[in-house]
Amino acid sequence: MSYFNIDSQKARTYDAIVIGSGISGGWAAKELCDKGLKTLVLERGRDVKHNVDYPTTMKMPWEFEHRERMPLEVVKENPIQSKCYNFKESAAHFFIKDKEHPYVQEKPFDWIRGYQVGGKSLLWARQTQRWSQFDFEGPARDGFAVEWPISYNDIAPWYSHVEKFAGITGNKDGLDSLPDGEFLPPYDLNCVEKYFKESVAKKHKDRHIIISRAAHISQPQQIHLDQGRAQCMSRQMCERGCPFGGYFSSNSSTIPWAAKTGNMTLRPQSVVHSIIYDEKKGKATGVRVIDANTKEMMEFYAKIIFVNAAALNTNLVLLNSTSSRFPNGLGNDSGVLGKYVAFHNYRARISAEYDGHLDTTTAGARPNGGGYIPRFRNVYKQDTDFLRGYAAGFGAHRISYNSREGLGEDLKANLFKREMGGWGVGSHMMGETIPKESNYVALDKNLKDPFGIPQLKISIDYDDNDDKMVKDYLEQMTEMFTEAGFKNIRSSDSKQAPGLDIHEMGGVRMGKDPKTSMLNKWNQIHSVPNVFVTDGASMTSTSTQNPSLTYMALTARAVDYAVKQMKAKSL
Amino acid sequence: MERRAALKGLATAIGGLVALPSWASNWNHTTLQPTDLLSAEEVPLLAGVVDTIIPKTDTPGAKELGVDRFIQLMVKDCYDSNAQETLKKGLATVEEDSKETFGKSFTACNAAQRMHILEGMSLSDDATSKGFFGMVKGLTIQGYMSSEYVMTNITKYQMIPARWNGCVPVTQ
Repeated sequence: MSYFNIDSQKARTYDAIVIGSGISGGWAAKELCDKGLKTLVLERGRDVKHNVDYPTTMKMPWEFEHRERMPLEVVKENPIQSKCYNFKESAAHFFIKDKEHPYVQEKPFDWIRGYQVGGKSLLWARQTQRWSQFDFEGPARDGFAVEWPISYNDIAPWYSHVEKFAGITGNKDGLDSLPDGEFLPPYDLNCVEKYFKESVAKKHKDRHIIISRAAHISQPQQIHLDQGRAQCMSRQMCERGCPFGGYFSSNSSTIPWAAKTGNMTLRPQSVVHSIIYDEKKGKATGVRVIDANTKEMMEFYAKIIFVNAAALNTNLVLLNSTSSRFPNGLGNDSGVLGKYVAFHNYRARISAEYDGHLDTTTAGARPNGGGYIPRFRNVYKQDTDFLRGYAAGFGAHRISYNSREGLGEDLKANLFKREMGGWGVGSHMMGETIPKESNYVALDKNLKDPFGIPQLKISIDYDDNDDKMVKDYLEQMTEMFTEAGFKNIRSSDSKQAPGLDIHEMGGVRMGKDPKTSMLNKWNQIHSVPNVFVTDGASMTSTSTQNPSLTYMALTARAVDYAVKQMKAKSL
Repeated sequence: MERRAALKGLATAIGGLVALPSWASNWNHTTLQPTDLLSAEEVPLLAGVVDTIIPKTDTPGAKELGVDRFIQLMVKDCYDSNAQETLKKGLATVEEDSKETFGKSFTACNAAQRMHILEGMSLSDDATSKGFFGMVKGLTIQGYMSSEYVMTNITKYQMIPARWNGCVPVTQ
């Protein structure tokens, strides 16, 4: 029996464990496996194999019996997930079912989740803009949260590292506020987007409209072919999973790459309960897992552990990892675990019409979403009555429509006659929110989820700074739209709850001082050095950029450090 | 070896297709099952309405493409009980108006008579009649324009554009 136990324990021991297989977990797996570590990747949901498990990817529009609209009953049963634009017939199977994964909303928070191998990397919007030094120095300059322990120069080579592998389309724009990366050829701005760029540049020297940078293979390089990925076909149905591997996901890229090394063991249906802390050794020794099918609790062991469960679930895992050394959660000597959570403010939108450039239109499709306006507020110095600022998306499209007038043969003739209108233009904001102690997550004292794990209580809200930013964004865009001669300008503030931006960050923040932060500059828990947190939970502040690229870079950088430390026997 | 691997991959992919979620399964107007939303009398009435909205000409009409069944499915699954009631009440009004105006069932009326009835409902002050007309016309257009026939033969849907040009001259 004892032999059996020893063998069993050995069989459940790896060099490294990665909790989560989403965008950052996939990167941890790839980097660890590339460096020769036997790595166990734990995923709480089902397996989703590239292509094999994309059931809708080649479906024609008419093959969706409700034409992508979800049945009312499904919407009612999933009041949170159904708020996401991708919750539709072609992609709803990549979202959780709300009933199965309850949480407590102390304040309204739309927690959008995809529990499967690949996580939300199947569903993301693929925008990949680098942070600049202005972003990293934000908290120190403006006196909020804590100072970042890293600068742009620390992470720049790691941005390059992940960009080359993932495949990022973009243009080298030479902007201080948005550093250039390792780009595949850009898609073009269309003629009205270019016109708006010029119109804005005339009056506002510091405001730029550029083509958005996104994780699409506009021209495959050998490294992409080696992954079995091909050129993006501009299908604009990424959320189904891409048969070409044209956009970056864990499923198409990092996970199969890690598997090919022979060093990865992928274990789906493995819900992590907590991290095991050994008080004698003074470090973490493994992970407690509940098998989602059998509900059996089991343990896995490793020398190092990467926590990439997605921002809020990473908080949950650490909060639930208690011991007499860490009664308030793993590594939580400072008491900041779960606090200073922030997100992105996507509330405001503006749209208009333009009746110029009527002799031109666009042809085909592009996958990257269109134009991007990097932050121009408070970049070099504070110049508004709110902190930080916002980036924005900007796009124009030539309107074409079919008249729906009439009945019978008249209507039919109208429907088959494509009419060309003017141009529609639109923009949405992506505002930085300020991490605060009062925006937090914690374990609910009474309620448990179906696995017996405490439910996460979420208490996150907007503040006055966010309201001012919404107002300023709408004022500035209205001014720039008016200057460009755009007509019928319509603006809106959705007042959407935090969460729907799907950019929740923080709670396990990096920092220089163990008294006020959870992680050091290598994403290593100050007091438990063999545990690394490299997903959104680690973010000290949020900036305005879509965050995934930064998680990828932080992950690759942390793995490099961890493996060097292991080799030097200091881990 | 590579070929074998590819074939194996293909077999798995086909296996994967069998496990589609129910809403993603392939359908067309011949396989779409009727719902129990409408009675045996209401079903042909709705078919008559959609065929009046988009009739057969040198191209198929809405009825021929199964749009009436699409509407039943949409209203049953994706619309609330008010909309379902509007559909049923509206069909009853269609029939009543036909009998009152032309002394026969809507389905027995000729195209001009049927148009007359529907136009009357579109101009009606009665919220249900107006609501019925707007909803059924909208769904008829949606179902028709997104049908396999129209998207394949008329609007030439491209699933794989594989090209982008941001600025081309308009050619008429």
